[in-house]
Amino acid sequence: MAELAKNTENIPLISTEEKLIPPWKEAWFSFSKNRLAIVGLGIVIFFIILAIIAPYIAPYSFKDQVLAERMQAPSSKHWFGTDDFGRDIFSRVIYGARISLWVGFFSVLGSVVFGTILGIVAGYYGSWVDAIISRIFDILLAFPSILLAISIVAILGPSLQNALIAIAIINVPNFGRLVRSKVLSIKQEEYIMAARAVGMKDARILFRHILPNSISPVIVQATLAIATAIIEAAALGFLGMGAQAPTPEWGKMLADSRNYITQAPWTLIFPGLAIMLTVLGFNLMGDGLRDALDPKMKQ
Amino acid sequence: MRKKTFKLLLISLLAISMFLVGCNSKTNEKAGSNDNNNESSPIKDTLVYGRGGDSTSLDPISTTEGETFKVTENIFETLLEYGDQDTTVNPGLAEKWTVSDDGLNYTFNLRQGVKFHDGTDFNADAVVFNFDRWMNGNADSFPYYSMFGGYKGEEGHVIKEVKAADEYTVQFVLSRPQAPFLKNLAMSPFGIASPTAVEKYGDKFRENPVGTGPFKFVSWKQNDTITLEKNPDYWQKGLPKLNKVIYRVIPENTARLNSLTIGEIDIMDGLNNSDEATVLGNDNLQIIERPSMNVGYIGLTTTRKPFDNKLVRQAINHAIDKKSIIDAFYGGKADPAVNPMPSSIEGYNDAIEPYPYDLEKAKALLKEAGFEKGFEIDLWAMPVARPYMPEAQKVAEVIQESLSKIGVKANIQTVEWATYLDKAAKGEFDMFMLGWTGDNGDPDNFLYTLLDKDSIGSNNYSHYSNDELHDVLIQAQTETEQAKRNDLYKKAQEIIHDDAPWVPLVHSTPLLAAAKDVVNYLPHPTGSEALTKVEFK
Repeated sequence: MAELAKNTENIPLISTEEKLIPPWKEAWFSFSKNRLAIVGLGIVIFFIILAIIAPYIAPYSFKDQVLAERMQAPSSKHWFGTDDFGRDIFSRVIYGARISLWVGFFSVLGSVVFGTILGIVAGYYGSWVDAIISRIFDILLAFPSILLAISIVAILGPSLQNALIAIAIINVPNFGRLVRSKVLSIKQEEYIMAARAVGMKDARILFRHILPNSISPVIVQATLAIATAIIEAAALGFLGMGAQAPTPEWGKMLADSRNYITQAPWTLIFPGLAIMLTVLGFNLMGDGLRDALDPKMKQ
Repeated sequence: MRKKTFKLLLISLLAISMFLVGCNSKTNEKAGSNDNNNESSPIKDTLVYGRGGDSTSLDPISTTEGETFKVTENIFETLLEYGDQDTTVNPGLAEKWTVSDDGLNYTFNLRQGVKFHDGTDFNADAVVFNFDRWMNGNADSFPYYSMFGGYKGEEGHVIKEVKAADEYTVQFVLSRPQAPFLKNLAMSPFGIASPTAVEKYGDKFRENPVGTGPFKFVSWKQNDTITLEKNPDYWQKGLPKLNKVIYRVIPENTARLNSLTIGEIDIMDGLNNSDEATVLGNDNLQIIERPSMNVGYIGLTTTRKPFDNKLVRQAINHAIDKKSIIDAFYGGKADPAVNPMPSSIEGYNDAIEPYPYDLEKAKALLKEAGFEKGFEIDLWAMPVARPYMPEAQKVAEVIQESLSKIGVKANIQTVEWATYLDKAAKGEFDMFMLGWTGDNGDPDNFLYTLLDKDSIGSNNYSHYSNDELHDVLIQAQTETEQAKRNDLYKKAQEIIHDDAPWVPLVHSTPLLAAAKDVVNYLPHPTGSEALTKVEFK
């Protein structure tokens, strides 16, 4: 015993202060070198700002109808033209950013929270708990996601909030599985065994050691999931199962205008472009984050 | 590596756009070649009719819904028929008729040698059988029979007895005179059905219709197609001209127009007024206008809060700008409605002042009714295009916006068409959009059918009940002198206007579009017509 203690003393101390760069700084360094990722980040920030200051920059209200000015082509008065109710499409697209980002962010937040909790529990405790949770995930994943979302909304009743809940539910298994697999591998690490050996409580191990170490893939996945969530919200809106009139949701705007595609294409082009740009932004940013946070990609 | 991805993205974008352009020119070519085919091949004899909704039943008496009559007009015939494009009464299955001086006895001489599609003879017994079947029903099973004042055993029922005097003579004995009696008999729901088939199929008769009409029923794929074929033994020799008729359901007005443009269908109804210019600009297509005899309205269910309050209903009437709705969604081709019936109908009261569009007045009325802070309701919009309202969802959004200005929050709801009518009939909607196409051109068919307390459960969807109105309408039914009837109907319109169970919106001119080679298509003001004389040129 004494011998052992002596050995430990002899281990040379590594001077930590010089070599260790904080991990977030390192990630940012590799992220900022990725030009596409920066473009993505730029787009995302642009839309977030747009959403925040919407009431100050939108020239018109999103719901004021001027039927005498319906389906006017883009002009200096209406930058993006007007829709079939004579509403200003520019203002509606700007307000639409609020809705899409709100749905995207909160639905993903919901799935992250629930997915992570379920994933950790399944991965850490194993046995029958794992079996039950994993099978539930399997069942949820067996449905085409949009179909599942439609059925959930059909049960809850069509509204934006229920669409958000539905999107959150269908994404839970993705995060759950991700976290579970990460937990399974971290559980075997020596520092966890050490923590167990010194008698640390389960909760402390889970939240102090396992969670922080398994969170980075979740962040990447979440960024990408926001993009998917925005598309899903738009799809539900398009099908009439999401936002209800007169909410300026982009997908609903597309659905409302699809009859006028030949007469007034601008009623579709601008909300369509808005969906495309935000989704592209989140995807590029997510890809960049993955490269930055993935230890295997480190140079 | 990354540059490559970017390039790939650009290239694929280019490829997609090329593909789309390619698609476009291809469809054009296809449409062109289709036309050539038509010219070279022998004359077409199958008509494909595109419409917005499916029939709810093929037994015309079991429903009040227009998409059903559009089909059953071709399968069934009535004792009397309307003129080709008006509501004058002409011989149908009955060749001649006489009326007693007191207006209580009608005798019909039936056409001889007519057979139902299943081979059963058409005779007086068949007519008696049909009327017995209908009068023993109720508002659920045979809603339109309420045109005759109710059902057997009910106080208002006007038909005391229907009897066969001999094989080809039928006598109707009425309990009181009914002025629109002959016009009623010509309505599509009173098509005479084969007694053998009714007994054979029972409840399934609505899916297996058998009548005497120019076309025989072949098949029905729900929400897709209904196929009819020529009745070779039709009593009018040389008719019908077509060999086969296929009714196809294409819910979207624009999608239907696209199908017409590429030649998948030959004729469509429910053309958006905004698409009229597109059709006129296409050399292969033509516009057909249906004579107007309809009303599109917003019903306020008078048994539900807050619409049980007359002031609230009047306030809503003040809050809706009909003019701009008409300009935007009817291309100006509609008249703003003041009364529940169009002005072309005799007895129209043109002295009634419409509720002006006046938000301040509306707010004041709401305040008076105790709803100063407004309220929240569901506004139901039809899921299908109707002749009186081609774009219901859009109009609903305009109304939602108008109502929000007086503090009323309206949530737009919709449900599949058959359920929609069913729920409306049960009075489950707060506020709903509906309309009516006249069946026989008589004011009774608008005012009594839609707003009398007898019609609650069938066509009185706003569950409006007023005893004074009921007395006036019944009196008008019994009165045979036209001038006195007109006065009574004018009085009725005043009562209705004041009680405001509806917001009457429009009287529209429904548009149809057809391929240029379709001829002799005569749209009837009632909204449904037999395709007996239609042919391809």
